[in-house]
Amino acid sequence: MKKMEIVRSIPVWVIMLILSVFALLPFYMMIIMGTHYSEDLYTGIKLLPGEYLRQNFQTVMRQNFPRYYLNSFIVSGISTAGGVFVSALTGYAFAKFRFKGRAPLLGFIVATLAIPQQLGLVGFVVEMRYLGWINTLLPLIIPGMASAFGVFWMHQFIGSSVPNEIIESGRVDGAGEFGIFFRLVAPIILPASITIALLLFLWSWNSYMTPLVVITSESNYTIPLAIALVSSEYRVDYAARILALAIGTIPLVVMFAFGSKHLIRGLVAGSVKG
Amino acid sequence: MRKKYTPYVMIAPYFLLYIAFSVFPIIFSLVISFTQWDGIGEASFVGLANYIRVFTRDKFFYKSLGNTTLLLVITTPVMIGLGLMTAVFLKDFFRRTRNAVQLINFLPYITTPVAVGIIFQLMFDWKSGIVNALLNLLHIDSVYWLGNAWASRVVVIIMQIWKTYGYMMVMCLAGLATIPEDLYEAAKIDGASWRHSFVHITLPMLRPIFTFLFTTSIINGFKLFDEPQLLFSDPAQPLGGPDRSVMTVVMRFYEASFQNFEFGYGSALAYCLFLIIAVVSLVVFRFINRGTED
Repeated sequence: MKKMEIVRSIPVWVIMLILSVFALLPFYMMIIMGTHYSEDLYTGIKLLPGEYLRQNFQTVMRQNFPRYYLNSFIVSGISTAGGVFVSALTGYAFAKFRFKGRAPLLGFIVATLAIPQQLGLVGFVVEMRYLGWINTLLPLIIPGMASAFGVFWMHQFIGSSVPNEIIESGRVDGAGEFGIFFRLVAPIILPASITIALLLFLWSWNSYMTPLVVITSESNYTIPLAIALVSSEYRVDYAARILALAIGTIPLVVMFAFGSKHLIRGLVAGSVKG
Repeated sequence: MRKKYTPYVMIAPYFLLYIAFSVFPIIFSLVISFTQWDGIGEASFVGLANYIRVFTRDKFFYKSLGNTTLLLVITTPVMIGLGLMTAVFLKDFFRRTRNAVQLINFLPYITTPVAVGIIFQLMFDWKSGIVNALLNLLHIDSVYWLGNAWASRVVVIIMQIWKTYGYMMVMCLAGLATIPEDLYEAAKIDGASWRHSFVHITLPMLRPIFTFLFTTSIINGFKLFDEPQLLFSDPAQPLGGPDRSVMTVVMRFYEASFQNFEFGYGSALAYCLFLIIAVVSLVVFRFINRGTED
């Protein structure tokens, strides 16, 4: 019986092995190709690391890459921090207060989840021109702080895991409503905040189309823009370009390695909304 | 003691930001879509002319709509099928190594789409790509992947599947976790085979997840832009691939709005895309849910 089960599971193992190789191969190729001398990449397939990593790294650094990195961290960091705060505060109000217009406003937020971002993009660009925000990082930071998904997810989480008694006891003690939110509610919703933070950071870091249409000068490029636009001008240095790709994806891989549980939970929670 | 306006103060930041940077641009775009405007000079009102042009005179719109539809019709079932298969495998066969396998297969989903496009461009390169090298090892001639219309579509399909099946797997795992074990136990006692349980317990119980995954992957399929755009990011390569074979609707929108600076026409394209997404997802949602209401 036991033996039968093992025999039966062999094809399953083989399929999963093939798929895992399929999933990892592009990453592996990216890392390996980044360690070779560009010219050598044309002379045959490299499956083992080369010795040109340091030189390629220097080439990447010469291409202003630290600057793009900094831009991306500024954009994703600030918009994520702001987004988590705004989502938590709004979600808290919807979950724990009964006020006029509550249901239609919440319904409105849920409905906006289905709107593609491209719908208002032309109007957004024109608006940014009027505000003088073109070619600044502001259009990438400020609008991202209003996340319909973040509000919805915080509303769900707070509704189910913040007991009303805690809020009431705060009121009995004479704390202000915002004091209650910051001192009593915020610690409880920390895990949900981490989930939202990871998702907002991921989306912001990977965002390509908005930076593409509002950023015009190279010094304000974020990582995806830099990878897309700068490196195509340096096509000659193939290997350095690939190393730049690898460096650009490192923060996500690190983030994912530490927060995969939270990240996956957040994405799964997104399915509740459907 | 509780002040009446407290909740309004709390939701104000969100709504101010959302109205300023989402609602306003969306309405503004609608207004722009009734004009002819290059974004700099005077805008002139043209009524529905832009919309008429989208549906009657823009052959690239139809081409891109056809491409996008083709890509999502092929990729959606494969992605969801692969996701379901791997999820079931993980649940039933990989109890100890489950987390590691799950992480590996999920990694492509979080990778920057721009990077995905470029990595695939390199891997499918005619001369120096690893795919042709592997084919050569098997004594198959090199394929000019990115220079041929159908081969390009195959590359985009593989890329989409590679990127998304891990996400589908995670979603299916979450759905599987909600099915009570007793159901399987009871079926086993009744002598049901693994396949029988799969067809009569797993599949029906996962229906809500399937509805969600089908609907969202169609919506996301229509929004496809970053990866195919970057797959042909080389200045020497034609826009949207050879013969525009992988040009998506959003790529057409981007071209009209921000390369040709036809702001009015681009806005009209965006609204048409939105209408198509709304109608198609509603129809799909109804279709999958048919018979469950009554």
